[in-house]
Amino acid sequence: MAQHYDKIIIGAGLYGLYAADFCVRKGERVLVLEYDNAPFQRATYINQARVHMGYHYPRSLTTAIKSAGYFRRFYEDFGFCIHDRFDQIYATSEKFSWTNAKQFQEFCAAAGIKCLETSPGRYFNPGMCDGAFLTEEYTYDAKILQAYYEDRLKENQNAEMLFGVRLHKIEKDGRIFRITLEDKKTFDAPFVLNATYASVNQIIHKTDGIEKTFFDIKYELCEIILCRPSQLLQDTGITVMDGPFFSIMPFGKTGLHSLTSVTFTPHVTSYESIPSFGCQRGIETEYMGCSPGKLGNCNTCIHKPDSAWPYMSHLADKFLKPEYAYSYVESLYSMKPILKSSEVDDSRPTAIRVMSTSPTFISVLSGKINTVYDLDEYL
Amino acid sequence: MKDKKFISLVIYLHNNGACLKHFLDQVLPVCDKKFEQYELICVDDGCTDNTMDILREYISKIQIGIMVNVAHMSFFHGLESSMNAGRDLAIGDFVYEFDSILVDYDPAIILSVYEKLLEGNDIVAASSRGKLRFTSRIFYALYNKTSRGSGKIGPETFRLVSRRAINRIKAMGHYIPYRKAVYRNCGLCAATISYDSIHQGTGRQHSAAASERTSLAFDSFIYFTNVMERISTIVSGAFLLLSVGMGLYTISDIFNKNKPVEGWLSTMSFLSLGFFGVFALLTIILKYLSVMLNLIFKQQQYLVSDIEKIVSR
Repeated sequence: MAQHYDKIIIGAGLYGLYAADFCVRKGERVLVLEYDNAPFQRATYINQARVHMGYHYPRSLTTAIKSAGYFRRFYEDFGFCIHDRFDQIYATSEKFSWTNAKQFQEFCAAAGIKCLETSPGRYFNPGMCDGAFLTEEYTYDAKILQAYYEDRLKENQNAEMLFGVRLHKIEKDGRIFRITLEDKKTFDAPFVLNATYASVNQIIHKTDGIEKTFFDIKYELCEIILCRPSQLLQDTGITVMDGPFFSIMPFGKTGLHSLTSVTFTPHVTSYESIPSFGCQRGIETEYMGCSPGKLGNCNTCIHKPDSAWPYMSHLADKFLKPEYAYSYVESLYSMKPILKSSEVDDSRPTAIRVMSTSPTFISVLSGKINTVYDLDEYL
Repeated sequence: MKDKKFISLVIYLHNNGACLKHFLDQVLPVCDKKFEQYELICVDDGCTDNTMDILREYISKIQIGIMVNVAHMSFFHGLESSMNAGRDLAIGDFVYEFDSILVDYDPAIILSVYEKLLEGNDIVAASSRGKLRFTSRIFYALYNKTSRGSGKIGPETFRLVSRRAINRIKAMGHYIPYRKAVYRNCGLCAATISYDSIHQGTGRQHSAAASERTSLAFDSFIYFTNVMERISTIVSGAFLLLSVGMGLYTISDIFNKNKPVEGWLSTMSFLSLGFFGVFALLTIILKYLSVMLNLIFKQQQYLVSDIEKIVSR
């Protein structure tokens, strides 16, 4: 009855498809199960699209150095989807920042990443920033990356992708895991990778026969605003870092910029082990269906919150000189899980947990695109 | 038709949760009716009572959607520094600064202040016509008489400041010891709306706040007025006269052929008085130096421990 595979991967985000591609190249039969109707519909697409170099981690040097290493590799492997022809400016705010200009410079020097001092007066209103630095950081285009993986996996007969999947349960049966869908279809494999990002705990919840250790995470419903930059802003990305600030930078190769802010991008937060939100009430069964046990796609949800555009744009306008203008295009929403333990020291490692061996069940959680290589040794 | 301008309300919280509900009840509906977008910035200046709980509870139950951010100061900073922090966090086109959350006015005054600002002012204050404390009266009288700038200051319950004025004062310098005085001296148009206090309520002052305000008063005198210069001139002038007088006395002593030994008392008293004068001057110079030190070296004027966002609904 059940179809057999070497590996079953849950979640068709970058981590899922990277793992699938990695394994079919080894000659394994792989099945990818995805809730949405296409890959890359959530966090892989809906984020700042930043290929992290490590600038974001002034409080964790090891994370920064590791990021810088992966940055090079990611750039070599996925150069076709990367936009690198723009000036990425990092600035330290004069007020409310946890890091000042000098500390940031010292940190970059220690991590060995590019940081050329430039004049804050060129970009910012007087008295807003005490330091501005030209850095090296790129942005990736999720749509191009999606097409790339779709093509690669489609032409390989060992790979199979199933969309619109409603998972029912995952049972351990001897040396294999048996996955049953709500429509009673079953699949089994000796290896299951849970690469569902925001649903990682929900999937663990559905397992049977292994010890359920949940990731200690909180959930934030995040809004990324896409905007059309002015001529001057077109080839510039600006991030005011480490505090209640904002970032406006190119969004892949779309010609648009993404606008995000630390305070206004997260709309609502859930501190439960599985994502529980007030907005889920009343739509458990409608359309996509969304509940603490099964997260719908926030971007297509009828209950998505009002845009925080007035707030984010005012925050950015307070800092930016008027010539760096931009106009609203659209808002994208996605659920973002955040490891609680990382809040203090800023070290946001890719969390990979081997929850069972023979049969193997691995859960991965990472908020960064270029640390995908961490998976290699587990596959 | 709601107004398109983005408004920030900055309020100062220091163990005054008792007035908070009344303040929000009065002010928020007025703003909600008038403005399409606005935010509330609460500065928690080391609250040790349940003020923060009252705030969180109020916001979680409120019917109108509002963005609330709280700046938690690391320790008690006093009104001026804390409100500087609050204003720096605000993102609005226009920023209301509520130094006190005691509402002794008709909430409509809040909108009158806004209208007045739109008439071409950059700073508009609301001031109670009520009676002032004696010390405050002396302070304002002395200040306005000796102030270097053209702007006269007075008691202000709350004020509205434009983004333009905020940018201006940022460009002028880092250190803002006394907002009222800096705003009035930034060269932009300022106005005041006076109102009659609805009910008699005197703002209770914390003992720490009182001593802090005294020190602030002296700082302001040095920073914005030339009263200290005048005092030091008078003091040195007095000692100059004294020394001249003593000199004449000594000379007349010599001509009167008095025994010099008998003059030791006057010599000694002159010396001690002279030293006293020197020390008096030194005190003033030191005070000047401390202000200059603040102006030049003090980078971080306040320390914030956390920024918290409270979500309504």
